[in-house]
Amino acid sequence: MPATDIAVVGYAQTRSVRRARESEVQLLVPTVATALERAGLDRREVGFTCAGSCDYLTGGPFAFVSNLEAAGAWPPISESHVEMDGAWALYEAWVRLQHGDIDTALVFGSGKSSPSDPAEVWAQQLDPYYLAPLGVDPVSLAGLQARALIDAGKATERDFAEVVARSRRAAKDNANAQVSGDVDVDPLLQEPYVRAPLRRADLPPISDGAVAVVLARGDRARALSKRPAWIRGLDHRIEVHQPGMRDLTVSSSTTLAARKAGYDGGPLDVVELSATFSPQELILRDALGLGADAVVNPSGGPLAANPVMATGLVRIVEVAQRISEGGARRGLAHATGGQVLQHNLVCLMEGD
Amino acid sequence: MTTSEQAAPKENLVMEHLVSLHYSEELTPILERYVDALIDGRIVGHKCPQCSRVYVPGKGYCPICVVPTSEKDEVEVSDHGTVTGFTIITPVAYYGQEETEPFVYASVLLDGASGNLGGQDVVGIPRDQVHSGLRVRAIWKPKDQRTGEGVSNRGWGSVASVIDAFEPTGEPDMERSKYEEHIF
Amino acid sequence: MSAEQCAVIGVGQTHHKKKRADVSIPGLLREAASRALDDAECTWADIDAVVIGKAPDAFEGIVQPELFLADALGGAGKPMLRVHTAGSVGGSTFIVGAHLIESRIHERVLAISWEKQSEGNAQWGLAGGRSRGIGAGGAFAPWIRAYIEKTGAPEYIGWQVAVKDRLNALKNPYAHLHLPDITIEQVKESAMLWDPLRFLESCPSSDGACAVVLTNEAGGRAASKPAAWVHATAVRSELGVFPGRDPVRPQAGVECAHDVYRQAGISVPRQEIDIAELYVPFSWYEPMWLEGHDIAGPGEGWKMVESGDTEISGSFPVNPSGGVLSSNPIGASGMLRFAEAALQVRGLAGEHQVDGARTALAQAYGGGAQYFAMGVLRSTPA
Repeated sequence: MPATDIAVVGYAQTRSVRRARESEVQLLVPTVATALERAGLDRREVGFTCAGSCDYLTGGPFAFVSNLEAAGAWPPISESHVEMDGAWALYEAWVRLQHGDIDTALVFGSGKSSPSDPAEVWAQQLDPYYLAPLGVDPVSLAGLQARALIDAGKATERDFAEVVARSRRAAKDNANAQVSGDVDVDPLLQEPYVRAPLRRADLPPISDGAVAVVLARGDRARALSKRPAWIRGLDHRIEVHQPGMRDLTVSSSTTLAARKAGYDGGPLDVVELSATFSPQELILRDALGLGADAVVNPSGGPLAANPVMATGLVRIVEVAQRISEGGARRGLAHATGGQVLQHNLVCLMEGD
Repeated sequence: MTTSEQAAPKENLVMEHLVSLHYSEELTPILERYVDALIDGRIVGHKCPQCSRVYVPGKGYCPICVVPTSEKDEVEVSDHGTVTGFTIITPVAYYGQEETEPFVYASVLLDGASGNLGGQDVVGIPRDQVHSGLRVRAIWKPKDQRTGEGVSNRGWGSVASVIDAFEPTGEPDMERSKYEEHIF
Repeated sequence: MSAEQCAVIGVGQTHHKKKRADVSIPGLLREAASRALDDAECTWADIDAVVIGKAPDAFEGIVQPELFLADALGGAGKPMLRVHTAGSVGGSTFIVGAHLIESRIHERVLAISWEKQSEGNAQWGLAGGRSRGIGAGGAFAPWIRAYIEKTGAPEYIGWQVAVKDRLNALKNPYAHLHLPDITIEQVKESAMLWDPLRFLESCPSSDGACAVVLTNEAGGRAASKPAAWVHATAVRSELGVFPGRDPVRPQAGVECAHDVYRQAGISVPRQEIDIAELYVPFSWYEPMWLEGHDIAGPGEGWKMVESGDTEISGSFPVNPSGGVLSSNPIGASGMLRFAEAALQVRGLAGEHQVDGARTALAQAYGGGAQYFAMGVLRSTPA
């Protein structure tokens, strides 16, 4: 059984913006510094560092190397990097902390989506023999998923619009959100389709952002945080890549990851889901067996801010923050990788 | 599992899929100032308020101390310096390659800077005589030809499009002990 | 609670070639993975998690290729991690896989890394898509020159390493380069690429993959073939560019080595290590890493080469597999060092087996010689 005494003890994130004037590493440097400061940890004491980012998003091979400057990699540090959302960098750090020889870790994720066109970049994130040459863009795939959901009788366009309206309203209370406001469902339904049945509002914004998290274990966690957000379970699962070979209206890997992470279906005070397209929130709620009264994405979720490669880690921070500072007792954060929910991570956290 | 490498490999269908991705990013404010200075014929960097290292161009932070730096930490460095390390590159062909002749690829430690300016061409001296310790100065493009085109947030070509290359000044070589700490 | 022990019970690799026109990318990976599974006497279903590593995605032009490779690697329903630490990635992928076992999170992990350079353009990738690229060696050549100047090493040391590794490769059926007629003269006369590095002193560009099956102590003891036991792993990274940096003897490399020596209880590496697989993509990196990891004292690395110590029959064999100089599927090269080290201590390295090898050192490096992944493997459990 994995150790359950590893906790989030510090965090920081940038406010997501459409186009940051800072470079990616310039976004990261103060974010990492703030997270360490909040944890009261000197960077030289950090036992292991892990980062998540995507070279193709940053726009060049080895692009992740520049981000090392945010980690303060001099003198040399024990450090690794995943070409994945920062949530998986957190997973790797959590695994490393299980060994028992170190008790702190620094994790960060970052991405600037503004310099490129997501339809160009993420169209290359597909099987290069069968899918990429078709020029399939991520919004079209998400549109197919939404269509499948409607055809299966599981949701309506109104349901999608309700997710949007609720998310934007919630985002008003989130200083880091990019898109927020009061909007009614009916006007949303009047908007034109972008990729039917998806409308512009059903899509995430294009965001630049960075996020950093400090993990600690056992007594060290208690020394660094008055109210650590304990990670009681963490798991991730991937599904078959070919979208035509899986049921896009369910997220079986999310259900599996949640079960493996030890989620027993009990009450949750806060849930943050990486539902980058509004229909995906409905799929994920179902996959987790959440009731209609579950508090989902109080931050506004990815529909309010989508710093790709950081979005998943931000969900973990949003839950951890509500536990550490907001008095929540139990929360669940979800991250996703690939398209139409191919890869999913579930993180279960609890306060004392 | 295949054992086809034992027999002659069969001809498989190969398809070319050329993809063009466009990235467009505004220069950071610090690099904008850097470019303005370059076009004006000056090379500026940031001096860390804690350790005094001078970074050209400035980064907005000192990567060693991890403290912020800003305009108030801006300093000017000389356009004269020393070659601290180099190689001669024989170009290979690939999509987008324009070079055809071997070229010098040198690190130049500008007087006043703590770190090197990498990837500089050195001309006015036979390639096989380029050596570490050589004192050089920048050959600037005429002012009306200078642009900020070569500078990007990625750190590529930080003085390209304003400085063509470096040439020997004729001064005696810098002693090895003075630049030994700066080979990269 | 201390960490679980990790054992390597399966090793597989492809026949590395300039162009594997006979397989697609999934085919290439399955070739290596299937061999590793067969060696481990396991099936796909026995694997709990997959860890995959490769060099920058731009080398093949596919964004996050592990996502589509999940299907070929029996990944559905399993956790999959994609490691990316530049050239050291094959090594850090092995280490991330080992962490999953050592943490007791999983019992059987498939770690795999690869590159299919013929299906992309690595030269273009290395140049960031721009003209005037410096290739793989351009960044290292000035530091090699600095090593030679500082130590006074004679010019033929690099040529000697180039010949040694290619002759070793003749004993490795998987190696890309098989150059039976290679001589010092030939290396010396080959085209200059990045002065002072010549063509025959540089690694080839290969298509290839390497896979290992990792398990815990119980699994290692139960395996019918001898296992390789992981006694130490460490990763260290340092800033690649900063004033005052020593890129010839990077501190991260020194500290990484000392961490694995400490974990493995090694105080005199030169004597207590029987064989080393070090990431040597350019000939001179052999003496540089011997010094950079305190196997040889300062200025003494090249003397170990000159006196034949690092030959397969010598007192400190380096790269009996032929090393990166003979096969370089970039993403896999780091893992090949760990895989070959494992084969040596298992006594399964065939024709390139070093007699009596019981303690092996594996090392991979990447970026501006700033990322290090190292390990010590032994024939017996800790």
